[in-house]
Amino acid sequence: MSRFLIVTLPLTGHAHRAVAVANELSARGHEVAWCGSKAYFRPLLGPDAILFPTGTRLFRDQAGHGIAALKSLWQEYLIPMARFMLPSVDRAMLAYRPDMVVVDQHALAGALVAHRHGLPWATLATEAMELTHPLAALPRVDAWVRAQLASLCQEAGVTEAGFDPLCSPYLLIAFTTSALTGEQPFPGHFVLVGAAMLERPAAFAWELVDPARRKVLITVGTMATGLAADFYQRAAAAVAPLAATLQAIIVGPPDLLPDPPGNVLVVPSVPMLALLPRLDTVISHGGMNTVCETLAHGVPLVLAPIRHDQPVVAAQVVRAGAGIRVPFSRVRPDQLRQALVTVLDDPAYRRAAMKVRDSFAAAGGAAAAAAHLESFVQAAR
Amino acid sequence: MTTADITADDMAGALAEATGDTSLLGAGLSAATRLEGDLGLDSLDLAALGAVLRDRYGTAVELVAYVAGLDIDEIIELTVGDVTGYVNRCRPARRRAERPAEQPQ
Repeated sequence: MSRFLIVTLPLTGHAHRAVAVANELSARGHEVAWCGSKAYFRPLLGPDAILFPTGTRLFRDQAGHGIAALKSLWQEYLIPMARFMLPSVDRAMLAYRPDMVVVDQHALAGALVAHRHGLPWATLATEAMELTHPLAALPRVDAWVRAQLASLCQEAGVTEAGFDPLCSPYLLIAFTTSALTGEQPFPGHFVLVGAAMLERPAAFAWELVDPARRKVLITVGTMATGLAADFYQRAAAAVAPLAATLQAIIVGPPDLLPDPPGNVLVVPSVPMLALLPRLDTVISHGGMNTVCETLAHGVPLVLAPIRHDQPVVAAQVVRAGAGIRVPFSRVRPDQLRQALVTVLDDPAYRRAAMKVRDSFAAAGGAAAAAAHLESFVQAAR
Repeated sequence: MTTADITADDMAGALAEATGDTSLLGAGLSAATRLEGDLGLDSLDLAALGAVLRDRYGTAVELVAYVAGLDIDEIIELTVGDVTGYVNRCRPARRRAERPAEQPQ
């Protein structure tokens, strides 16, 4: 039995992948402890989980998109969050003495403290941004991000040249496959395991789902609630004329869309993994978690990326042939309807999505991630 | 046309072609309109715009290379006027050819 300490962020897409991996580690007889916000992780993990609390720092719903959003992500969230977490992550590592630390790519404090204690650490690459270097095309933006990281490292007392808190030198586990990233010259300690999935338990009125009509799920994820209302209104207008053959399920607060068309259900949450086998397509902002869950079920997508790694994910899905990209802020209902009908009617999109599904299945998902972590610790003994 | 310099209206046409969004034609773009903050363009839109500008104004116009030379705040604040200015700077030969009176030799 080995002991793993997981350091991650209280964000759905990040935390759920870590829980899926942790469940596999437990099933293999290992012990897992967590370091993160108690208010977020205690309800998610249950009363028996070992949890070293970091306290909770409220995450302001971000405005903006593009490079402005990237700047605010680093300046107003990732770097302050790392500073905030450093002392409690330090205490957790001293108290728990793990064999290996498992760090979400954006939970920078985990990488810094593991390095300080000389503990081996693995990166969970839960976003697409740091994997294929999309910022290479904007070298001065890339340099700005690197400067933020360098100053954080210095503040944390980590001064070794070449230390990169985003990418472990031991093991990096990415939740994708080359079916999405394309063939890349990844280093040998990078492993691509496909989708690591965790069901979100949610009450759902299955009786309202009409088996006779095709079904589209529409979601912009948990982070962009401030931008969702306007997009959902356009999406509802896009699907309304298709009522005879199509039913839409929009995920969001029902007051966002007070008077939806007859073929539109608005629900606060869905049991995503149970619902996906019944869906014909998903319209999404392109969050990597939603996209990978969807593709793992061979379901094609229409993607309206907002910010961060979402345009990168959307471009990967388009290149794989498994979806169509539309502009989030500008797409008109008729354009969205056209994209939707194309993805529904042209079987090439579903075939491409099924190819990605097969590559995910071959990559092994959360179980493969756990096996890699286990072998690393065993080999290090 | 008394000048070969491209204007915000020309940019609206190029943007509409690049993004397929014809509403940009009547959107009243000005030199101060920000590509990212006001129009919601992302890097893929910029690449498409770069291809349209190259087709229209010559291979010396390399928008992606121009943007790659900008720092983070310059990209956030990049305006229609910045891009028209860049395109016009790329085309001195054409300006001389079309406005010989201004370039007496």
